[in-house]
Amino acid sequence: MKLAWLRSLETSHQDCVWACTWVPATDKSPGLLLTGSLDETVKLWNPEDLSLVRTNTGHCLGVVSVAAHPSGKIAASASMDSFVRVFDVESNNTIATLEAPPSEVWQMQFDPRGTTLAVAGGSSASVKLWDTAEWKLVATLSIPRPESSKPSDKGNNKKFVLSVAWSPSGRQLACGSMDGSISVFDVQRAKFLHHLDGHTMPVRSLSYSPLDPRVLVSGSDDERIHMYDAEGKTLFSSMSGHSSWVLSVDVSPDGQAIASGSSDRTVKLWDPKMRAAVQTMTNHTDQVWGVKFEGGGGGVRGSLLASVSDDKSISLYNYS
Amino acid sequence: MACVYIPVQNSEEEVRVALDQLPRDATDILDILKAEQAPLDLWLIIAREYFKQGKVEQFRQILEEGSSPEIDEYYADVRYERIAILNALGAYFSYLGKIETKQKEKEDYFILATQYYNKASRIDMHEPSTWVGKGQLLLAKGDVDQAFAAFKIVLDGDRDNVPALLGHACVEFNRGKYSSSLEMYKRVLQVYPQCPAAVRLGIGLCRYKLGQFERAKQAFERVLQLDPENVEALVALGIVDLQSNEASGIRGAMEKMQRAFDVYPYCATALNYLANHFFFTGQHFLVEQLTETALAATTHGSTRAHSYYNLARSYHSKGDYEKAGLYYMASVKEVNKPQEFILPFYGLGQVQLKLGDFKSSLSNFEKVLEVYPENCETLKAVAHIYLQLNQTTKAHEALKKAVRIDPRDPEAFLDLGELLISTDSGAALDAFKTARNLLKKANEEVSIELLNNIGVIHFERGEFELAQQTFKEALGDGIWVKLIDTETQSDSIRKALHQPMDASLASRMYKDMQIFHNLEKNGVSVDLPWDKITTLSNLARLFEQLHKTETASILYRLILFKFPEYVDAYLRLAAIAKARNNVPLSIELIRDALEVDDKNPDALCMLGDLELKNDDWVKAKDTFRAAKDASNGKDSYATLCLGNWNYFAAVRSEKRAPKLEATHLEKAKELYTKVLVEHPANMYAANGAGVVLAEKGQFDIAKELFTQVQEAASGSVFVQMPDVWINLAHVHFAQGNFPLAIKMYQNCLRKFYYNTDSQILLYLARTHYEAEQWQDCKKTLLKAIHLAPSNYTLRFDTGVTLQKFSASTLQKTKRTVDEVRATVAELKNAVRLFSQLSAASNLQFHGFDEKKIETHVGYCKHLLEAAKVHCDAAELEDQQNRHRLELARQAAIREEESRLAEEQKKVKLEKRKQEDELKKVMQQEQHLERIKEHWKSSSGSKRKDRAQDDDEAGQGERRRRKSSNKKKKRDKKHVDDDQQEYEEDNTNTNYYQQDNQTNYQPNDNDNAPQDLFAAAGLEDSDADDNTGAPSSKRIRGWSESEDDEPEKRQPSSSPVRANSVEMQVSDGE
Repeated sequence: MKLAWLRSLETSHQDCVWACTWVPATDKSPGLLLTGSLDETVKLWNPEDLSLVRTNTGHCLGVVSVAAHPSGKIAASASMDSFVRVFDVESNNTIATLEAPPSEVWQMQFDPRGTTLAVAGGSSASVKLWDTAEWKLVATLSIPRPESSKPSDKGNNKKFVLSVAWSPSGRQLACGSMDGSISVFDVQRAKFLHHLDGHTMPVRSLSYSPLDPRVLVSGSDDERIHMYDAEGKTLFSSMSGHSSWVLSVDVSPDGQAIASGSSDRTVKLWDPKMRAAVQTMTNHTDQVWGVKFEGGGGGVRGSLLASVSDDKSISLYNYS
Repeated sequence: MACVYIPVQNSEEEVRVALDQLPRDATDILDILKAEQAPLDLWLIIAREYFKQGKVEQFRQILEEGSSPEIDEYYADVRYERIAILNALGAYFSYLGKIETKQKEKEDYFILATQYYNKASRIDMHEPSTWVGKGQLLLAKGDVDQAFAAFKIVLDGDRDNVPALLGHACVEFNRGKYSSSLEMYKRVLQVYPQCPAAVRLGIGLCRYKLGQFERAKQAFERVLQLDPENVEALVALGIVDLQSNEASGIRGAMEKMQRAFDVYPYCATALNYLANHFFFTGQHFLVEQLTETALAATTHGSTRAHSYYNLARSYHSKGDYEKAGLYYMASVKEVNKPQEFILPFYGLGQVQLKLGDFKSSLSNFEKVLEVYPENCETLKAVAHIYLQLNQTTKAHEALKKAVRIDPRDPEAFLDLGELLISTDSGAALDAFKTARNLLKKANEEVSIELLNNIGVIHFERGEFELAQQTFKEALGDGIWVKLIDTETQSDSIRKALHQPMDASLASRMYKDMQIFHNLEKNGVSVDLPWDKITTLSNLARLFEQLHKTETASILYRLILFKFPEYVDAYLRLAAIAKARNNVPLSIELIRDALEVDDKNPDALCMLGDLELKNDDWVKAKDTFRAAKDASNGKDSYATLCLGNWNYFAAVRSEKRAPKLEATHLEKAKELYTKVLVEHPANMYAANGAGVVLAEKGQFDIAKELFTQVQEAASGSVFVQMPDVWINLAHVHFAQGNFPLAIKMYQNCLRKFYYNTDSQILLYLARTHYEAEQWQDCKKTLLKAIHLAPSNYTLRFDTGVTLQKFSASTLQKTKRTVDEVRATVAELKNAVRLFSQLSAASNLQFHGFDEKKIETHVGYCKHLLEAAKVHCDAAELEDQQNRHRLELARQAAIREEESRLAEEQKKVKLEKRKQEDELKKVMQQEQHLERIKEHWKSSSGSKRKDRAQDDDEAGQGERRRRKSSNKKKKRDKKHVDDDQQEYEEDNTNTNYYQQDNQTNYQPNDNDNAPQDLFAAAGLEDSDADDNTGAPSSKRIRGWSESEDDEPEKRQPSSSPVRANSVEMQVSDGE
């Protein structure tokens, strides 16, 4: 289990790079890397040599999240002005522009079958589900307010939703909030199941293990990475090692490793069995906002890992 | 039996006097002597006989009679005998003077002796025996040079005069010229081979002094051959044997001493040596007896000193320091010059040190050092005393010397290291390491304290890897190794450690002891020796520093599992929980700590901090007070906390009551100053003082203070003071030095926060705003939003920035189409931002005044319309330009086609086009005029007469708004303040700057200095980092106090140094 640095592109964007994801290969095109930046652009890259495939414009106020449809044909990008732009990967034609005022847009993810786009809705304390056929809002999964709080209580601001993740089966969905709680939903019944406690600061990233659908990995500003049993409501382990916020976590396609990106400028590879970091990459010079493994699970060993950072650069590593 | 015959006058008869039957009353003899006019030599013989029998009175009586004036007259021509009598008397008094201990009598005897010798000299100047006597007298008086002169006179007359030679030899011996002394003795031997054994004793002593021990021994042995009972020779021989330092030699020496003792039980020197011997064999009873006898037997100072010393040493070794001290003192009193016999001074110093009399002890050790400046033991003792007396520099010098002299003494290095720990950690580390290596070389056990100290220094110097190794070495093997080392964990431990935990309990994780119970259940013994707690806790603290916080928490819990009264572990766990924002757990842990020790100032201070975090102002103050009282006001941290509290209180009050504010500020200043008086190096207090100064508008002094603190803070890993950077940046900002302020904020963000602090980003944005760097301002705010998505203030600020940017672009006289387009785009963004906020405000996500947002929206829309016009105009112009170019091109083509034929037509076309253009341009100009007009009416028109108007209006307005806003948003103060700044923009777009400028002139309005500061927009920001008014501000406050902790805690909870050092650290602090 190790990471080998492959290549980096120093100034991939004009400004901080805040989001990245892999667009799966189609019959026409190989797998591509999709990045979003504060410079209001979204860029597509060929991982072979990190050459620029295309630059998409049209966003205002910084791109905070990107998501790719499992088909590899459609992708979505979201910016701080709370618009989601859904576009055709090949032609860059806008397919739809989504907004659900007054809720903001933070992390997004397509469900594994590609029928639904889940969008973390910020202050609305909910996750918005969009149908990918007609691009209609089909459901709002709201985090229930604590019994005690009055509706006017601004305390529910703490349930501000930042991150979202689908379980590999697509039946469950988890979202992380500013107050450190993680909420788990049953998607089909559009029902809130339970909270996962343990973090005490914003949870900015969530990732299910592709092998064991019960295992949910979370990264938080409290510098910890937690592994939960999302169904049994138990905390397997709490791993410390980053010296600042954990901004992004992703479980490797073989389910054997966890990658994390942190404000401490490092990318770490964790062995969940040892509950310890086994490797630390220090090639970035500013906060690492995104880490993402390529490949759609299935226990494959060996894949690419991408990381993006405030230092405007993109790095690729070989995971084996 | 020897007899003398006194001839009877005028007859042939003689009176026979048996010398052993001399009458008790000397008058009888005297009568006979006088009556018979006996020759003077008989007088002398009889007097001498009396002397031999110890009848000193009679001896004196006869001789004094024999030297009386009548005798002089009667025996006027018997010169030699008269001189002999006088000399005998002189010698007698010389001897008395020599042995007399009282100074007064001593001198009287010497005077008498001198008188007799002088009288003798008057009879015959050249009599050698008188000179010899004089020489002896001078020698006894210690007047070596004159004695030498006297002997020389004799020797000049007769170079073989034996007594003079002996005297001369003695002088030379006393002068330390042993070889020439030896020559003299040899001459005596040649001249007078049958001389008494004592001469050979002199030879032996000279040889001994010259270091020729073998030959000295031969000489002494020869003496013993001649006189087997010569005590001096026996003792001297014993000493020579002792010199050999071999077991057989010492045994032989003791046998000789024993013999000397048998021969003459009152020889003090022999007694001393015997006592010394029995001291080492541990027979203290004999020591006391022998030394007491010796003391009774001698009046000789240095011998008595030895005796007392032996006695003192005996008591010293028995632990009776009082008595030992007394005898050492007695011994010291017998010693004239310390260099003659130094040991009692050392002993006395030791005893006094033991009894706590540092000053006297020091002076005694210093005497030892005068004689032996290179004695390591003494140097160490002196260093120790200096340390107790707080004279660290001197202690340092002494120890440095000690290790230089003996670079193989681990103890000295250990002492040196402990001394240096607070001043020069690098040197301390070297010293400790040397000590460790020396101990290892000597195969001695390296103490856990030493390793702990080395580890702590590595830790402090940021050498974490080495620190970890050292701590682990100190701890050795144990349960902790299994807990730390994940690689070699056995399954049972891993299972216990990795027991899944119900997520709902996860937030109380740091109180969980289940893992240890599980371990015990699985048959793993959980043991922790008490002497390893300190080091284990240091190791845990190191793990914290390395961000292996979970491992650290397990170690702290292990300590608490075994030693639930170890308060520091609770506090560190509480600090970890606090860093994770888990306030309830943190408070709970502190309460646990307070249950163990309800007066622990550290725990109380932390509790106060947490209460502040919960907005429990009154409680927090009480807690800080309790902390201060608990430490009798000696804990500067508690005082500091109270100072901070007062400062927050000053800047927090929602309705600014200048009086209250001033009192709080004054109180804060007083508290900071108090800390500074006690600890001039306390950076936190200095920082606080700087803040108060800045609040009062004394920026230059504040800046200087901050700069100094900043420099001082950049030394240790435990001192992290981002606040001072921020404060410095604030001052730069307040003084209008924006580039420097920006740099400072950025450095601070990168250096201390990994660029994650949205509050500092806000300060940064604000500086960009003032510097009119709109794009930078916008980007900075967007980054801040990205970091703190739920902070709506940042969105509001972004909207205002965009609005301001657009307005300022539109006001420019020259602008490109792109600029105008960008303006339009940004205005649209602003409108969207404000609209979103407006919508959100319906849901009450934040506390903004809806109306105000509406105003913003309205204004932006209005600007947008205006901009659209601009945009249209600009685009029109752009189009026309392009059109014109196109036309020109076409014309050119046409020209090509029909240059001549169409010439007239072309002229016409040209004309028309020109007219067209003219018209368009006219239109455009009008348009511009209109817009300008509009601008003037909306904002510009006010400008001219605003100079005074605005300040008042602006501030008045601001105040009004402030109060009205605050009622609505109780605990959103900082939101407010930021808003306030922007609010002005809202109503009169251009105010802000002017406002600012005028605010720096304190003569308008009723601006108190702190108002000035506030008006400059700093009050929120500055307040923040030092401590912070409510809500978000407190975050900064917190971080400060947290920073305080490590520094503060050094002596206790963070790396705790082993016992001895601990003391030092707290001193240093």
